[in-house]
Amino acid sequence: MHRGEEQRQGWLFVSPAVIHLAVFALIPIGYALYLSLFKWQLLRESQEFIGLQNYAMSLAESPFWNAMWNSGRYAIVSVPAGMIVALAVAILVNQKLRGITVFRTLFYIPAIASGVAISMLWIYVYLPETGMINTILGSFGVQSIDFLNRAEWAMWALVFMSIWTGLGPRMVLFLAGLLSIPQPLYEAAELDGASRWRCFVSITLPMLAPTTLFVLITSTISALQIFTPVYMMTKGQPEDTTDVIGYHIYSEAWVNFNIGLASAKSFLLLIVIAAISLLQFRLMKKPMEDFSTG
Amino acid sequence: MRFALLAALALLVGCGRDNDSDIIVLRVANWSGAGDDSEFERTIQDIYEEFERRHPGVDIRVEGIPDGYVSKVILSFVAGTEPDVMLLDASSAAVFIDNGVLADLMPFIENDTAFALGDFFENVVDIARRGNALFAIPNDFTPMVMYYNKRLFDKADVPYPKPGWTFQDFRATARALTIPGEQYGFSFANWMPGWIMWLWNNDGDVIDSSFPRASGILDSAENVSALEFLHDVIKVDKSAPSLGEVASMGVDLFANGQAAMTVSGHWALIGYTNAPKGSDGKPAITWDDLGVIEMPSQTGSSVTVMYESGYAIGKNSKNKELAWEFIKYFTSYEVQSKYNKSGIAVCARKDVAQERASDPLEAMFLPIIPSARPPHGASVEGYEIVEKVGKNALDSILNNDIPVRVALEKAAKRIDQEFAKR
Repeated sequence: MHRGEEQRQGWLFVSPAVIHLAVFALIPIGYALYLSLFKWQLLRESQEFIGLQNYAMSLAESPFWNAMWNSGRYAIVSVPAGMIVALAVAILVNQKLRGITVFRTLFYIPAIASGVAISMLWIYVYLPETGMINTILGSFGVQSIDFLNRAEWAMWALVFMSIWTGLGPRMVLFLAGLLSIPQPLYEAAELDGASRWRCFVSITLPMLAPTTLFVLITSTISALQIFTPVYMMTKGQPEDTTDVIGYHIYSEAWVNFNIGLASAKSFLLLIVIAAISLLQFRLMKKPMEDFSTG
Repeated sequence: MRFALLAALALLVGCGRDNDSDIIVLRVANWSGAGDDSEFERTIQDIYEEFERRHPGVDIRVEGIPDGYVSKVILSFVAGTEPDVMLLDASSAAVFIDNGVLADLMPFIENDTAFALGDFFENVVDIARRGNALFAIPNDFTPMVMYYNKRLFDKADVPYPKPGWTFQDFRATARALTIPGEQYGFSFANWMPGWIMWLWNNDGDVIDSSFPRASGILDSAENVSALEFLHDVIKVDKSAPSLGEVASMGVDLFANGQAAMTVSGHWALIGYTNAPKGSDGKPAITWDDLGVIEMPSQTGSSVTVMYESGYAIGKNSKNKELAWEFIKYFTSYEVQSKYNKSGIAVCARKDVAQERASDPLEAMFLPIIPSARPPHGASVEGYEIVEKVGKNALDSILNNDIPVRVALEKAAKRIDQEFAKR
């Protein structure tokens, strides 16, 4: 085949993805970058160019850092907790039992349900007096707690819920990782008299390192971008304790109508996420190399 | 014949219409949700249909936006897809009026002998006034008032409140009404649109609206003492349950007949007429139990805030004449006397409001109306942030015992920062 023809065909094949990416991601991102240089107020006739002032303003204001902190503590707790639970469940459903696929499916269901529907459900779970959790606590004589409206509880209510909602995809990834570990490794270890715990620490965990890295990075990114449950359940309240960065940017744009400032904050979030991902790659590189050379 | 009528109408209203269709669509935006089959819903439908009957070839298309109304309508203006007529909420009117996206209605009013602005309460009309221009015709409104439950007053042997009462009178009344384990004197919710009047009635305010700024105003000595007063009523006297207790009880204590006083708007009456039933099977509160009184005041003349909705026309609407006909129709005596039966608000027309006042409870609202001020959101763009920060400040005062002055100074600084961004 002619070389030019081949190239043309190649471009044709990638064009749907490239066009989609350009129209729905690259162009909006570029436009947001442009907006971030203006004091951009919807409905105003002319917009004032202010250079990098939106970035400086974001970094100088406490609500932005409060939102960063909220996202940080959400991610720091929800990501490890969610991963540990998902790994435990993956190990449980990795047993050769009849009907185990039913359990695998059941655990995956939250992942295919709408985030809005799940949030509505959990509003009822957390309801004071009549909610599921308070009913259970009440039967032990514990006083009703309004989880979503108390500053000391709301964030942890969101974290607890995220362990459940994030379970499905993480579990499937860990399960795939577990299934790909060569069985002879365990057999050899068993011959050498290794305990089950020893097998887990010395074989399962290191062999799962690539999977763990992937789950860690994707979970961290999605934890930093959490929006739907906050929008549905707390609107950043009480006392801004659940005002996570995703919701903070949204309300800067669509509640306060500071479009330029919101765009600048999105780019600051992008930098933070990129930096964290890079750091995670670096940190995980060592254990992965150890394994492949060992 | 049909064509002739349409042609005449098209000339009359001077509007463009789709060439390939005989129908003129008039888009009306409001914040109503999905309709149900209630009587009120049917009344509204009849009102629209009657307009369509009188204007053949016109299709009223109501676009209900129950969630995120302000941002969605703003976006529609940015995109050039705005409705012809929009319901304007006084609390967020400034962003629309002051960005010049609405049509001045004065020319329509001056050229229309069938419409008289004098039919409406003057202070309610003024909400959408800027100099000689007027950007909305009021639909309905409510002043925020103090409700009281006469049955609980009688039970505690406390005389009913009288106009001209002070903060001290209120505090003593609330304390006398509180019977531990049985009833509270007062029920308080931390929703700033529902407590800003306490500041006004202590001669305080929230912002300087001509130059949006809160420092020196929100953290004034007057406001510190007003919020300390509320704090003491709730936390020291325990005349009202704490915010945490209210939330964990999960019920409206006043509607439940467990609190003797509360502050709310006219809309609360709907809840009170469908009040939950007590253990004896009787409603926890009845219409006859209810009384309405002005807010207590330290200034000698009680003031309150009013929340209002009015109809406005988009500046670039192609159907302005028809939109005006619609607004005139909807705010007419004929329509409002039907519409107002829902009881959600007070009619902005004096004649309908007077008629409704044959009910003694409705009559108690009338003397309060002249003292009602528009919310700051009617004149200050971005006022929503003040209400959010204000709520957080009072949360920290009532939940975490942060000193009032500290909380208000912090809130004022935060608000100034937010206004500086705009």
